[in-house]
Order: sequence, then C-alpha cells, then structure tokens
Amino acid sequence: MPIRSVMTRLALCMLALPAAAGAAAAQPGAALVRTWCSGCHHEAKPGHFERISVIRKTPEGWVMTLFRMRQVHHLVLTDEVHDALVRYLADTQGLAPSEAAPARFALERRPNAQDLDLGPELGVMCGRCHSLARVALQRRDSDEWLKHMHFHVGQFSTLEYQASGRDRPWWQIASTQLPPELGKRFPFTTTAWSDWQKQPKRELAGRWIVVGHVPGGRDFYGTADITREAGGDYRARYALNEAGGAAIAGESHAIVYTGYEWRGRAALGGRAVREIFAANEDGSRIAGRWFDPEHSELGGEWTAIRADGAPQLLAVLPQALRAGTSGRVVVVGSGLGALDDAGFGAGVSATVVRREANLFEADVVVAADAVPGARALRAGAAAGQLIVFRQIDELEVRPAYGIARLGGGKLAPVAAQFEAIAATRLPGGALLSLGPVAAEWSTVSFDEEARRTSDDKYAGQMDPTGRFLPAVAGPNPTREYSGDNVGNLAVLASVKDGERTVDARSHLVVTVQRWVNPPIY
Amino acid sequence: MVRPSRIAALLLAAALAGGVTAAAAGDLILTGAKPDRLFVIDAASRSVKSEFRIAGANGQVGTIVPSPDGRIAYVLVNRMESIVGIDLADGHAMFRADLSTPGERVKALFAFTVTPDGKELIAYEVPTKLLPSEYQVEEPRFAVFKTSGGLKAKAVRQYPAQRRLHMLLMRPSGKSFYALGFDLYEYDVQTGKLLGTRGIQKWQLPAHSQPDLLAFWPVTEPSGVFTSPLYSEAQQGAAAAPMTALMSLDVASGALDYRDFEPLSALIFSTVLSPDRKTAYGVYSTLTKVDVEGRKLAARVPLDHTFYSVNVASDGQEIYIGGAMCDVGFYDAASLEKRAMLKLPGCADQSVASLRVIRTH
Ligand code: HEC
Ligand code: HEC
Repeated sequence: MPIRSVMTRLALCMLALPAAAGAAAAQPGAALVRTWCSGCHHEAKPGHFERISVIRKTPEGWVMTLFRMRQVHHLVLTDEVHDALVRYLADTQGLAPSEAAPARFALERRPNAQDLDLGPELGVMCGRCHSLARVALQRRDSDEWLKHMHFHVGQFSTLEYQASGRDRPWWQIASTQLPPELGKRFPFTTTAWSDWQKQPKRELAGRWIVVGHVPGGRDFYGTADITREAGGDYRARYALNEAGGAAIAGESHAIVYTGYEWRGRAALGGRAVREIFAANEDGSRIAGRWFDPEHSELGGEWTAIRADGAPQLLAVLPQALRAGTSGRVVVVGSGLGALDDAGFGAGVSATVVRREANLFEADVVVAADAVPGARALRAGAAAGQLIVFRQIDELEVRPAYGIARLGGGKLAPVAAQFEAIAATRLPGGALLSLGPVAAEWSTVSFDEEARRTSDDKYAGQMDPTGRFLPAVAGPNPTREYSGDNVGNLAVLASVKDGERTVDARSHLVVTVQRWVNPPIY
Repeated sequence: MVRPSRIAALLLAAALAGGVTAAAAGDLILTGAKPDRLFVIDAASRSVKSEFRIAGANGQVGTIVPSPDGRIAYVLVNRMESIVGIDLADGHAMFRADLSTPGERVKALFAFTVTPDGKELIAYEVPTKLLPSEYQVEEPRFAVFKTSGGLKAKAVRQYPAQRRLHMLLMRPSGKSFYALGFDLYEYDVQTGKLLGTRGIQKWQLPAHSQPDLLAFWPVTEPSGVFTSPLYSEAQQGAAAAPMTALMSLDVASGALDYRDFEPLSALIFSTVLSPDRKTAYGVYSTLTKVDVEGRKLAARVPLDHTFYSVNVASDGQEIYIGGAMCDVGFYDAASLEKRAMLKLPGCADQSVASLRVIRTH
C-alpha cells in the first residue's frame, strides 16, 4: 500500500518543519516543492512532481490549491513557505496575460460581473457552484481535467444529488465528454505561455500617472512613484487627489507575480486597500481594481500610465460640463504639450491656472448658447474630449442586476453599490454619455410577490451614495414562516434636472450569507 | 402491516373529543440530531423517553431505519461513513459497520435497509479511492452485513450498484429490495441481480418534462407505501407549468404511481401516507394535506418554520413533523391544527435525520 510510505515520508517532512522553516523560503522553488509536496506528489523525474508540474494557475488559483492541501490534506506549512511556493508556482506555472484577460473580472472580484459564457453544458455542469472564470483561469490537459473531476465527486459527495446535478448523469458527462473539451479549451501547453515565458519581464519602477474611480464616489487622479525593493517586490507611494476634493496620500507594498500580476496591500488615506492590477505586455500601463480587504464589493477602478510615456490624455475631469456653467477642469496624461485653448471649441473659454508635467488645471466657462456635443481637447500630441451638454435626458442604473447579502454572526453584510449614469440627447438625436451623476436613491419591492411579503421593509436600506446596506440575517419572527430578511427589490435613481426629473431603475436581489468566500468566486 | 380497524379509529376519535390525548398511545417517534443524538419520543405524552449518544457519530445523524421488531435503530452517522445499531432499551451500540478503510473513503449516500427478519443490513456504498496525490471515483456497490456482526461488522456480500441512488426500501418478502435513483430499480437480496428497472426519470407523464425526485427519508410506516413529492413541468399549450405530483410505491405489491395533484405552489420536502392510504401529508414551510384518490390538494397551513420530515400516527389521527431544527410537532390529521410542539433537549438540530415511528401496541 503506497499510503503507508506516504505517511512516513510525510511524518519526516513534518518533523523537519521547525528547523527548515526559516531557511526554506530562501530555497529555490523546485527544492521547496520537493521538501513540502513530494511526500504525496511523487517526483517522477527530477523537478517533475505528479499533479503539480502539469497544471498552470493564477496566483489566486495556487493559493486556493494550497489552502486545500493544508485544510483537507493536513499539509503543515509556515506562511513564509506558503508565500514562497505561490511566487514560484505562479511565476513558473502561471497564465500569460492574454490567457488571464477574459476572466480577470473574477481575480478583481468585481461584484455582479457577468460570468463567462462557455456554452449551456459547462454553464450547468460547472457554473452552478462557482464562476466559469475559476475554470477558465487554469490550464491543464485532458487527463488532469479528468483527475480534477475525480476530486470533485470524491470530495463533494452529494454533488450528483444536488439540483442541476441530479437531473443528468453528471459523473458520466464529467468523466467522459468534458475532460477532452476542457483540455482543448484550456490546454497546458500554449504558444501564449511559451512566448510570455521567453519575453523579458518589464521593470515597473518609475513615476506613473494614475486615475481611478470610486463607484458612488468621485474620480481621483495623481501620481504613483514605484520603486523596487531589495527583495524584488515593489513599493508605491501615491499622491492622489479626489476630483474637486481632498488630497489622498498612500503607500502600497506589492508582489508582481508571473511578470505582470500586481498584488498590492496598500493604505490609502488611512484605509487598508487590496490591489489586483495587471501590467500590460509592454509594461506601459497598469490597470485593475482595488477594494476594501474586508468588503471586496467596495472598491473602484484604477489605471496608471508611465509619466514619461508616449503622449496620451488619461482623463479629463469632469468629463462633462453644462452649458451656461463654469468649473475647474483637470486634464491628466503623459507627454502633454501646451494646452490648445481652441480645442475647447466655440462657446467654451478656458484659463489654465496650473500646469505640471502631467497635469493641467483650467477654469472653464461654458457659454449658455454653446453647442452641445463632444469637444476635442488637445495638449500637444495628446488628445481627449470634454462634453458640453444642456440637459440630462436619460439615466441608467448600473449594475442592471445586483446582489447583496445579509450580514450577521461572523459574516459582515455584502453591500451593493449602484451608480446613476446620465446621458444627454444631442440636437441630432444621438445619445452621449455624461458618466456617473449624483442621484436620489430608494428601493421598492420588485414585484407582486415581493410586495406581498413587504421585502422593501425588511431587506435593508439605500444610502445617499447609491450603496445598498443589507439587513441582518437569521429568522425574523415578524416575517412569513419566520423567514430571513431576503428581498427582491427595484432600485430607483432619480435626478432633478431643472424643472424635470429623470428616473431609472435596476434590480437588486438581497440574499442569504455566503459562508465560503474564496479568492476566485 | 397491521392497520387499526375502523372501529378502533372511531373510538380513539371519541377519546380525543373527551380531551384525552390518547390518539397516538403506543407510538414511539425516533429522530436524530447533531452532533450525536438519537431521541426516542413518547408520542402520547409528548415527551422525550430516551436521549442516547452515539459514539463516533462525528457531528451528524442522518437516515434512521428501525429493525422490524422495533428494538433497534440503525443510524447513518460519521458523514455517512458508518452505520450503527442502537439498542433502544438502553442505548448501547450492538452493531457498527465502518464503511471506510485507510485508502478508501466509502459513504452510504443516505441509503441502507434491513431485511424483514432483521438479520441482514444492506448498505449502498459509494467509494472513493484515496491515492497519495489524487482521488479516484469508483463505481458504487451494495454491501450486505449480518446484523449479528458486532461492532466491527464486515460485509459478507458485495455487488455492483447504480450511481446516484438515494434510497433503499426492503420488500416484505425479504427476497428483493427497491433502490431509488435515476429510476426505480429492484435487486435480489441474495445475488444482487438487477431484477427490473422502472422509470422515474425515463418514464415521463404524457406532456411532462423529466421529473425531479430526491428523497432521503425511507418512511413506509404505517401504510406499507413509500411516498414522495415529485416535480415536473406540464406542457399547457405553449407554456410549461410547474406541477407537484405525489409518487407512491407499495413495497408489497410493487405498485408504482405518480400523478400531479397541484400546480406547484409550495415546496414540499417529504410526505407520508395515512394508514387508510387515502390522505398524504407533506412538509416544508407548510403542512400540506393531499386527497390521494381525488388527486388534489385538500388543505394547507403555514408552519412556524421549516420542517424536513413528516410521519403519521399508527392510527392516522395525528401528524408528526420534525427535521431541520429542534422542534417535533404534533398536528391534528383532520384539521391540521397544531396540538403540541416539543423542543428537543438543548435545542438539538435534527437537520436531515429521519423521523420514524415504532408502534409498540
Ligand atoms: C498529504 C498529502 C499531500 C501533500 C503533502 C500535498 N498534496 Fe497536493 N494533493 C494531495 C491530494 C490527495 C490531491 C488530490 C485531491 C485534491 O485535488 O485535493 C492533491 C492534489 C494537488 C493538486 C491538483 C489539484 C487540482 O487542481 O486538480 C495540486 C496542484 C497540488 N496538490 C499541489 C500541491 C503542492 C504545491 C503541495 C506542496 C506545497 C502539495 N500539493 C502537497 C495530497 C497532498
Ligand atoms: C457541487 C459544486 C461544484 C460543481 C458542480 C463544480 N465545482 Fe469546481 N469546485 C467546487 C468547489 C467547492 C471548489 C473549491 C475546492 C477547494 O479548493 O476546496 C471547486 C474548485 C474548482 C477548481 C479550482 C481548483 C483548484 O485547486 O485550483 C476548478 C478548476 C474547478 N472547480 C473546475 C470545475 C469544473 C470544470 C466543473 C464542471 C465540470 C466544476 N468545477 C463543477 C465546487 C464545484
């Protein structure tokens, strides 16, 4: 029985723990795998470990696997060794930027993101328990996909009995038809990966120009000074400004996995922030999402370009001004030449009040009779646009469908952030988006059944920024069958535009708590 | 199965009218609860007669099958990896089959049964081979144990089984048993030969979608008929309407039947048939009464919270409900009025444990 020898080997590994721990992280990766994994994962040829060496995953994918090795298979690892293993495995068995791109939304933990469409079969077979992004963020051949199906049924013994599992011969499909299909879609060997491995990794140190957006809040812009630390990790110092608001200082410590996967832990304006960014292939742009570590649903966009990069207007803030008003407009970008006043077009006058290498600030006056529309804006070779509008004609609430989760016990509630996106209709009839605007927010029960059970009364409340704060979980004796405070709601946004009011709605489902919250949903 | 005579039932009803809760005299109710509890409840006095702890239950108590003589309760515990026989007189374990071995994890997915002579126990085994760096799903099998096998019982016979079974039901002859899964299978107790397959998924009602049935509660008392809700969609012109049917299987005659009784309007987890076979009762967040012959919903009342399992008094006068939380409820079978609610000691969580009735008179 091989189990026995495994046990002895494991026991040896564990015995070795205290002495090895400190030095282990300094070992080259393959030696780490040999020390910590080969007790169970046989080293079939030098440096080739069964199961491990034939799969590629994102850093989060490796974290999830190691979590299981610890939790389910009782592997004992120090955090230091764990982190060193994730680095090594993500660097040598990761995904190329183009491979990870379609499913980045899951790494970025975007709430309410639309999952990948891999066809109806995989949608039901796999997508009923977790995102298909989790599947699409791995690369392995057919035989390894098959082994993973064995794991699924071996580990989740009631899988074949659950709804959408018992309506079909799940195991038969998963063990015959799917592994070749998955192996074809997401194979271990790809040119994307071999090319990426050959490509020298871009140095990310330097000065970067940043813009970002907080849903329900403001845009911000500023600089990031990124330096390389002795150990190879990065440190970023942020000097940011909220558009029309306060300065925010911050600092981040980041590991860049696989040559492009930026994972930072930052403090921004005194608040802890997690950063999930990716550098593009030529290292000229870093983009992604940042969020509250405790509440991944609360976060925002982030884009950075090199301060000394090619001429490019990264943002014009605000992006739209109303005819007959005036305001301060900030233009940020790289390679900015002189700001071309004429660029604002007829009826708009601008006075530059501040000029820095990567920024203009101008006081802009829009005449009451200025023709509405997008105005091309130029700062030397860098081009962008500013929109002039007369009125808000349409409103859209994003997301169109949101999910919030009740809080209580050890689990914090999961809020849902909505935004009202305004649009103006040009005289020619075309709609032009004005971006997010402030709105009055409320919720009502979504349909007849929700009205009957007074969902709007129980499920939670909207705050003035469009954030829905769910109620407390658990049986509520005042509800039918002592039900939970779940609800099916319509979210209403309303914007007063002069005499008129423009409204929009979207759909919000307030549901029960989710007990496991893995790095890839 | 002994059925109370009509007169006896009338007499009992009269006694009730007199204010004496004697309807269920002699019924003992078995239920399990986390982490290791087996409760014996005296139905008449609405009180816990015994509370036993099952060693090595490992957090969960699931399917319960009483021995035909009502002296022993066989209980599925230890994440469905062990079946323990508990002597109901004193709570001591007189039988134990640990299905898993080092290197092979074996779960009896909810399903096992006992022969009418009480001598053999048949478990549905779903094995997974645990290799050093991988799991291997193996084909399921039946394993037959002698109930006299003691606390380290080993299978005396094994034979292949279908995947995705969820319930075994012994036939009174003791020669064969039914297995419910994708379809209804019948196997020979001695040889394991598949004697027949009748459709559940494959056998659709005309103009209905593939039906959905999943039942963990192998209740055939007191009628000798197993029943379960079964869901499908009926084609009505261009539209599909979700319907609830009552599936019934007479384990003696083998009669299998299912027909819709209402357009889906409340979820039902499990059902039980009255001793006269005229009425079925179902639970989840409501208590539902079904007119079996008329194929229609007879009555429905809301419950205080959800309940998973239901049973009925041997005389048909009272409905017992349990599972899901720590209450065992007693409802009037005629009016569906709540008569009593017994909270289990320590508010022990019954979860998916079976609710079984042993008749002692
Ligand atoms: C105690 C034994 C044991 C140790 C030690 C162990 N593993 Fe595993 N590993 C397993 C088993 C068993 C499986 C198959 C079941 C599963 O996937 O969880 C597995 C599966 C895997 C897989 C395949 C998972 C998939 O996605 O299909 C990977 C990759 C893996 N292990 C990586 C590692 C790494 C890296 C280490 C060392 C840090 C390690 N394991 C240490 C037992 C072990
Ligand atoms: C019954 C629910 C369920 C279904 C159905 C399901 N999965 Fe999973 N899957 C899980 C869970 C739970 C995990 C997390 C396992 C862990 O690490 O503990 C997981 C993890 C994974 C992972 C990541 C594993 C790792 O170690 O990196 C992949 C890849 C995956 N599943 C693929 C699939 C595919 C492909 C299908 C469809 C054929 C599928 N899953 C169907 C529940 C499910």
